[in-house]
Amino acid sequence: MGSSELKRSKDSVSSDESARRSSFPDEVLERVLSLLKPHRDRSSVSLVCKDWYNAERWSRTHVFIGNCYSVSPEIVARRFPRIRSVTLKGKPRFSDFNLVPENWGADIHSWLVVFAAKYPFLEELRLKRMAISDESLEFLAISFPNFKALSLLSCDGFSTNGLAAIATHCKNLTELDIQENGVYDKGGSWLSCFPESFTSLEVLNFANLTSDINFDALEKLVGRCKSMRVLKLNRSVSLEQLQRLLVNAPRLAELGTGSFSQELTIREYEELESTLSNCKIMHTLSGLWDAKGIYLPTLYPACSNLTFLNLSYAALQSVELAKLLAHCPRLKRLWVLDTVEDKGLEAVGLNCPLLEELRVFPADPFDDEIVHGVTEAGFLAVSFGCPRLHYVLYFCRQMTNAAVATIVQNCPDFTHFRLCIMNPGQPDYLTNEPMDEAFGAVVKTCTKLQRLSVSGLLTDLTFEYIGRYAKNLETLSVAFAGRSDWGMQCVLGGCPKLRKLEIRDCPFGNAALLSGLEKYESMRSLWMSACNVTMNGCRLLAREMPRLNVEVMKEDGSDDTQAYKVYVYRSIAGPRRDAPPSVLTL
Amino acid sequence: MSDVELQLCLALPTPDITKGFNSNNYHGLGFDHLKQTSCFGDRKKRDFEQALGNFSDECNAMPLLLWSGQPNEEDDNHKYRNKRTFTIDDMNDAEEDKVVGWPPIKSWRKRTCHHHHHHERAAGNGNGNGRSIYVKVKMEGVAIARKIDMRHYHSYQHLTNSLISIFTKNKKCDEHYNARYTLTYQDKEGDWLVAGDIPWNDFITTVQRLKILRLNLQTQPQTGPE
Repeated sequence: MGSSELKRSKDSVSSDESARRSSFPDEVLERVLSLLKPHRDRSSVSLVCKDWYNAERWSRTHVFIGNCYSVSPEIVARRFPRIRSVTLKGKPRFSDFNLVPENWGADIHSWLVVFAAKYPFLEELRLKRMAISDESLEFLAISFPNFKALSLLSCDGFSTNGLAAIATHCKNLTELDIQENGVYDKGGSWLSCFPESFTSLEVLNFANLTSDINFDALEKLVGRCKSMRVLKLNRSVSLEQLQRLLVNAPRLAELGTGSFSQELTIREYEELESTLSNCKIMHTLSGLWDAKGIYLPTLYPACSNLTFLNLSYAALQSVELAKLLAHCPRLKRLWVLDTVEDKGLEAVGLNCPLLEELRVFPADPFDDEIVHGVTEAGFLAVSFGCPRLHYVLYFCRQMTNAAVATIVQNCPDFTHFRLCIMNPGQPDYLTNEPMDEAFGAVVKTCTKLQRLSVSGLLTDLTFEYIGRYAKNLETLSVAFAGRSDWGMQCVLGGCPKLRKLEIRDCPFGNAALLSGLEKYESMRSLWMSACNVTMNGCRLLAREMPRLNVEVMKEDGSDDTQAYKVYVYRSIAGPRRDAPPSVLTL
Repeated sequence: MSDVELQLCLALPTPDITKGFNSNNYHGLGFDHLKQTSCFGDRKKRDFEQALGNFSDECNAMPLLLWSGQPNEEDDNHKYRNKRTFTIDDMNDAEEDKVVGWPPIKSWRKRTCHHHHHHERAAGNGNGNGRSIYVKVKMEGVAIARKIDMRHYHSYQHLTNSLISIFTKNKKCDEHYNARYTLTYQDKEGDWLVAGDIPWNDFITTVQRLKILRLNLQTQPQTGPE
């Protein structure tokens, strides 16, 4: 549709259209649609008819772009004139694990330039896996006078100088959320850049930063921001400092402590305990770096309303966890390190009947030898005690088909099942068979499954099961699995809702790649690395499907005929022009 | 303890060592070692190879590299093995990636973990600091290693008794029946030494890893890939 057709004007409506028009005026339709939030619903609305398409685009205030290269900022600005909030995702997910070259792209700057011109009243920007420089942050800070919320997750390219620019210029800032980024931490003086007149901050998360911060500045900031409801500190903040901060912010809903291990006097311990006991509305707790068992009881009174407990930086032992969980009856989400072992997970099963999400991270992921972390026993114990469990991320060193079958029988409502058996290609340790039946059980039983990560020794049978049963599957991650092209073909042929497929180190080649020709246009993206795909196969794909961008990342010294890393995604913006020399667009 | 006779030998500086060891049928390396070289109050660091070399004629000292350098035996089926590069440094530095981006842990979390573990290792200075000192213990012939907190133990005796009970719990008995073992450790400088020479408090601040090695005095110490 040309932009002239879409121009909103009652005067230019043809008589044909007015006959077909609904009886309520545009303003009402727009008002109604403005209440509609989920972006998928809004997309459906926009497809009904031209009027609805127009009403939707004029009433939309938030746009979600899952792949920054699928569309250009100009196209977005042309279609949606009234955007105040943008969510943008950039690099392929495997960039989190260093599989994507550093200068790959996903730079926010070109977007900011367009936004500064078209959306001067932009309020919110949420970025995931984007590259963002200090210059861009400064540009952002001075270009949008109404700017309120900045959230950066798994981004990189900036330093604390960029944060200083945000603090200095964003007079209406309510949210600054810096998570899991590759930040160049030059020190904590950025916190002092918030002017003394600044009081609007509600969300402050700098847990990601490693260096010492200016505590004095922080204390004053927290003291004058009376609406603060989320505060996540970094490791440099001590227990005693935490206590001082909390005295001024008892109404925190989400707290991330700093280091939880300083030596406290009895009086300091009691003060901390008393201050924490005032934090009754807290529903999320995280941080707890270096948590010492003896200080955990200070938290107990604050845990009664906890729904999310993130212990993934605290190497707790099973007994410490058990004691803590006894005070967390309402817990819905729990993240832990595998230092808690199976015994700790038994305590989860016993104490947290309302649990919906569990993530168990390995404390020592790169050990070659098998160290006791958690096993199938821990997962089983949780499944028996927590029937509402629907999201799991589980890193372990041994698993059995039988255990997984029992687990999904106990918890048939899994929507996200991410099992990582850390030794690649490891079979069922009791029967020595492949883990096919485990994932078969998952897809057969969990009909609501949206996301699946598989691991262990897997033949093509796993993928036959996935293709046949996983009818709601949207995201699939595969590593060191499969036997032949047939496996990948089953998935591409069978999962109607598949949107993201990421594969590494599997024996899938051109036949598999090309079997998904038509499918890739209905997906967000495909990633294949260290498989058997060749340049010719990729060229063929690119030739047949002009609306797909087929990018090959070259490795130094690798064979020129092999396509070592392939990233395929649909795009209405055409091939990108900012690719580095190591990325070939075919 | 199971019916396996497990003797764990140390070069122990204190006279109490005979407790808990059946000294009658014990021909363990550590004891002979004790008799032959006076280790009481001897603080000099003794190279493991040198230590082994002091013993019975049939017992040939194995080069140090053999057990700190051998990769674990693994399944042959998988492509990823070609991408792995085993070096001595890799084996000694557990934090090194063997396969790029695997296991799939976010880089930031890896850094936090790494930082965390180095904090822990560095923390064992003196008794006042209560931080745990986690150390991995591997026993030759047993696939599953354990991780222990050195702060739980207050003496070599306590440690060895615990290790005996930990490792006799879950392993196949046959190979280990009436075997003799010696406890070795890797210190801060990366050297592998026989445990027991230095005072306990010094030991816990320097120990990085523990390994229990099986000894067969008829041939040579059983080492090599498990």
